[in-house]
Amino acid sequence: MSFFRSKKMKYYSLVIPRESAWVVMNELARLDQLHFVDYDPQLPMINRPFANYVKRCDDSLFKLSCLELLLKEFNKNLNYCENVDSLLDYYQQVQQDRMKPGHTYFDELEQEIEQKKIQIQEQSANLQNLLDRVNIITEQQLVLENAKEILGQSMFQQQVPHNPNDYQQLKFGQLIGVIDKEEEVRFKRIIFRVTKGNAWVQIKDLNNEQIDNSIRKSFHLNQNTTSQPRCLFVIVFPGAEESSSLKIKLLKVCDSFNKQRIEYPNSMDQVQRKMMELAQQLQESKSLIEMTKQQLEQSLDKLVLQQQGCNCSYFEYMRLYILKEKYLYVNLNYLTMRGSIFTGYFWLPEGMEIIVEEKLRNAMINNRDHYPTGQIQQIKPQPYTPPTYFNLNEVTMPFQEIVNTYGIPRYQEVNPGLFTIITFPFLFGVMFADIAHGFMLFLCGIYLIFWKNYLLKQTDSMFNLMIPFRYLIVLMGFFAFYNGFIYNDYLSISLNLFGSCYSPEKDEWKRESKDCVYPFGVDPVWQASGSSLNFMNSYKMKLSVILGVIHMLFGILMKGVNTLYFKNYLDFFCEFIPQLLFMICTFGWMDFIIIVKWLNTYENNTDPSIIETMINQVLKPFDKSVNPVFPNQAEFQLRITQILTLIAVICIPWMLLPKPLILSSKNDKHKVSMSDSQYQPLVSDKQVSEQDEDSNQEFDNDLQNVANLKSFSEQTQEEHDSGEIWVHQMIETIEFVLGGISNTASYLRLWALSLAHGQLAEVFYDMCLAGKLDIGGILGGLLGGYFYIVFALLTFGVLMTMDVMECFLHALRLHWVEFQNKFYKADGYLFNGYSYKKILNDYLKQSNSK
Amino acid sequence: MDLCVFGVDDGYAEAIIRGLRASFLTEAQYQQMKNCASIPELKSFLEETDYQNCLQADNPQIPTSILRQRLKKKLADEFEYIEAQSTGTLTKYLFHLRCRFMIDNVVNMIEGLKNKIDIEILLSNIDPLGWFPEIKNIKVLEGDDYSSLYRDVLIDTPIGVYFMKFLEESIENLHENRTLNDIQNLFREMKPEYIRTSLKKMWLEDFYLFCEQELMPTSQEVLLELLKFEADFKTIQVIYNSIGNRDLNTAAKIITTRKQLCPTIGNLYPDCEKMYLQAMTLDTLREAVKGCDNYRDLLKDAPDPLKREEFNVQTKTLDDIMYDDECRRYALAFDGQGSYGVFYSYLKLKEQEIRNIIWLAEMISRKLAKNHPGWKKIIIPFSHLGK
Repeated sequence: MSFFRSKKMKYYSLVIPRESAWVVMNELARLDQLHFVDYDPQLPMINRPFANYVKRCDDSLFKLSCLELLLKEFNKNLNYCENVDSLLDYYQQVQQDRMKPGHTYFDELEQEIEQKKIQIQEQSANLQNLLDRVNIITEQQLVLENAKEILGQSMFQQQVPHNPNDYQQLKFGQLIGVIDKEEEVRFKRIIFRVTKGNAWVQIKDLNNEQIDNSIRKSFHLNQNTTSQPRCLFVIVFPGAEESSSLKIKLLKVCDSFNKQRIEYPNSMDQVQRKMMELAQQLQESKSLIEMTKQQLEQSLDKLVLQQQGCNCSYFEYMRLYILKEKYLYVNLNYLTMRGSIFTGYFWLPEGMEIIVEEKLRNAMINNRDHYPTGQIQQIKPQPYTPPTYFNLNEVTMPFQEIVNTYGIPRYQEVNPGLFTIITFPFLFGVMFADIAHGFMLFLCGIYLIFWKNYLLKQTDSMFNLMIPFRYLIVLMGFFAFYNGFIYNDYLSISLNLFGSCYSPEKDEWKRESKDCVYPFGVDPVWQASGSSLNFMNSYKMKLSVILGVIHMLFGILMKGVNTLYFKNYLDFFCEFIPQLLFMICTFGWMDFIIIVKWLNTYENNTDPSIIETMINQVLKPFDKSVNPVFPNQAEFQLRITQILTLIAVICIPWMLLPKPLILSSKNDKHKVSMSDSQYQPLVSDKQVSEQDEDSNQEFDNDLQNVANLKSFSEQTQEEHDSGEIWVHQMIETIEFVLGGISNTASYLRLWALSLAHGQLAEVFYDMCLAGKLDIGGILGGLLGGYFYIVFALLTFGVLMTMDVMECFLHALRLHWVEFQNKFYKADGYLFNGYSYKKILNDYLKQSNSK
Repeated sequence: MDLCVFGVDDGYAEAIIRGLRASFLTEAQYQQMKNCASIPELKSFLEETDYQNCLQADNPQIPTSILRQRLKKKLADEFEYIEAQSTGTLTKYLFHLRCRFMIDNVVNMIEGLKNKIDIEILLSNIDPLGWFPEIKNIKVLEGDDYSSLYRDVLIDTPIGVYFMKFLEESIENLHENRTLNDIQNLFREMKPEYIRTSLKKMWLEDFYLFCEQELMPTSQEVLLELLKFEADFKTIQVIYNSIGNRDLNTAAKIITTRKQLCPTIGNLYPDCEKMYLQAMTLDTLREAVKGCDNYRDLLKDAPDPLKREEFNVQTKTLDDIMYDDECRRYALAFDGQGSYGVFYSYLKLKEQEIRNIIWLAEMISRKLAKNHPGWKKIIIPFSHLGK
């Protein structure tokens, strides 16, 4: 019954000697059943005994993520772990083979990671350097080629004035170099200002990033380089002498842009020679790159490789181990250190005690030095409310998730998740009722269930997200299918499956025989009649109210079950019973007369109106109704309604008054008795502080103290002033009475959405298919095909996705608000088991979704 | 009225700033920082705070200068992000804020080049908040030729305007028949600190004008008040520092220098101008500013500038007193709604926080005793609000 109520929990203290802390925690983490409680939540993380270890783990993880970036850059695919259990077993195996204390393995791995990181980063830095060098060389080549073009041959012949008649025997100096493309304009401006316009500046794009990419490509390297686009600049200025002030200044300007500047050779031959030199250097560098890259890849391959017996890459092996280690230390930090022992508290599901003790014994045996491994001791009374723990499986998980999204169940209260399994898909089905649509949804769920493993591998599949909810979808589809039969609705057409009881005769519909009843669902003849919509509306409306009242009554009953379970008899008699009576006497009665009306036949327009009957019941309590629901028994009906109304009215003060009266009188008594005992905790505090020679005894006392304090604070919590109790009860009562009406009305959405669904389906059918199928010939075939496609797309887009969503949300609301507010407290907190498996699985899920 | 429409353009940027409010270190965290025994410990503590990501890649034994650079980089990144999210007036406004840092950078570069410090070191030390692409071209500076520096490099930069004004003013102040030599002499004798103060004065006046003319009333109300105080703070600083300054030997020279350096805005100007320009001792300065705000109280505890030689780490200098009061004002302005004061305050308060961290880092690295008065010399942003 662990799903109806959460598991019983017990509170234990754990005492571990320092030497075996790691071993014990390591063993317990495999158990998945302990929920550690933070000993002192106020203490900042950094001051805890193992903060340093957590920090080291973080550092190692950071280094690993640096390495991962490199792995990605070189397109090395990691083998992710698929089975956490076997990996954990493998870790244990490794530990046993090592014959050294378990916690030291982390130190080894940490060092290894550090070394690997340094080594690999060094290699990749080398590679980067070489690539940069190649870049510079190619850039120089480009510069020389381009400069040759720009300056031309005549540059070298300057020594001889080419025109003897030239009145100025001016010589020109030149500067050549490279700047970033984005600085082009600024560069030009500054040169202009410095030389006052007396220089000729030519700038040309080098397109170096393309060349860079092509080089990288030739080595099969990642191509998104960070290299900036660059430009070549050539400045020609008057005055070739080395010492001219203009040249010095220009040199300074060019250097301040801190990019390459190249000495342009003096003759054509030198240019050629330089080019040759560069080509040779390029060749050398390229072969060096090839070598470095191979080395780097070798080191990276080592990381990717699977180790024997382990089902994932070595890299993942290390990362998961560090994660596990970090988790251990984080949890170990919840314990507190006293001298050489750690003490802490944890929650454990009832009955697990023996297994934990066995684990502890195991730990001692497995421990190389056979240190004592500590003990557990149950603490009574439990100082805090225990966590809520359910054993979930793949079927129950989504339903519990629906409930948890609203609020975690209080410890041991009735879990609405259990009923949600059927009520949720059913209410969805009432709204989504359509044989064809329901069946399609059902098929979709079936597909998800049977092809789950195949779909899981398809990481980009849309279905992947729906996999956890596959059982929910199947049930939703099934109930929509079923309700479709009840409403007899197949894509807005009624199916004549069992043979209608009516047959057309002249202009009338003739009933086959008086006792003929359509065996299941609504008789298809209704669709042919003109009043189909009226009939269906009235029918669906009544049906939804009946379902709603049953649903709510069930919720109220669950409240009764809760009050009995927690032995809260005050609530049972002063809340549950009047609420139940109120509901039965008002809306329960309404349901009853609805059914009575269905069962009776009324003659010549004496059929009663339900709404009128209900209103008159309150407004004219002493008048007999004109059209009684029970034919010819108006007197009897009046008596019953009078009694029911009276009960309902009495229920209201019953809900409101007794509970606060009793509570406040209890409080007064309590206060008198409390005034003596109030000082007790303080005294025991003092006692504790006096005796600190025996740490163990102190510890026991401390526990008692905590328990005392807690129960004391609980007492004070209950001791609200009576005003608050009154206000609270008033709100509760008003909410219930008004809520009874508004919630019942809220269930009408079952009708409204099903109406909307039906009407949409009808519109699509009428607009696209009806009539178009009759056109004969090729044209008719084509048109039919075309309209069919439109119809299919509309059905899929509007009904199968949007309407599913909408009905889902409304079903959700009916559960969260109308059903759960009758009994559900939802103020618990989830059990958070100390488990390697959980943390590693969470991590793997994350990395998979990336 | 402007409160209604503030969110239209600037709501997002303001929201980010409000979110970043959570990144300020708390008093308890400062307390923990004080308890750190070494730099690696301090670093690992900072990694627990909002500074985590900017420090993670560094060596634990991080030098203070690099620590400062990292912290500033983070602030600059945040600021840049906000700038990128802003539009219209806010963009202009934020850019104005950055000019202050640009001035600092330029003057630092000039100072460094004069002292023949390697350009690479200088470039690595510039404040990332005041980075602009031309900054590396300051290398072109030859000797003390500021006018050609302006003409060649700074003319295009945002602070070119201030620099031009500064050059014009300093040349105008020379006697009538000046020669080129005089100008060169002027520049040679000019201290970078002087350039910094005058440029900042011009920036402050310009920024004040901008706030007055372009911002909406709520922003104006907050900002002008802050800027007035800042201007007064500058004035008092200038006067205070010029008292007993050996370089300014004659009374006339003191007064002209003061007149040049004191901002022409603020609560003190022009009412108290005459008084403070003449103030030659701390007491007369106190007398001069007594009419305004709480300045008299602020100056009450300031040490006498004439005994400058006796100052040491423990002395609570005028700057400390002023920063303290500034911090209170900025924290108040930060909590105001719908004004640009938030951005200004954020920048200032974060700067204060970085100053605090660096100060503590220095204290830690010098291994000073825990009862040393220097440990108390930090001003915690927002700590004034509780009181």
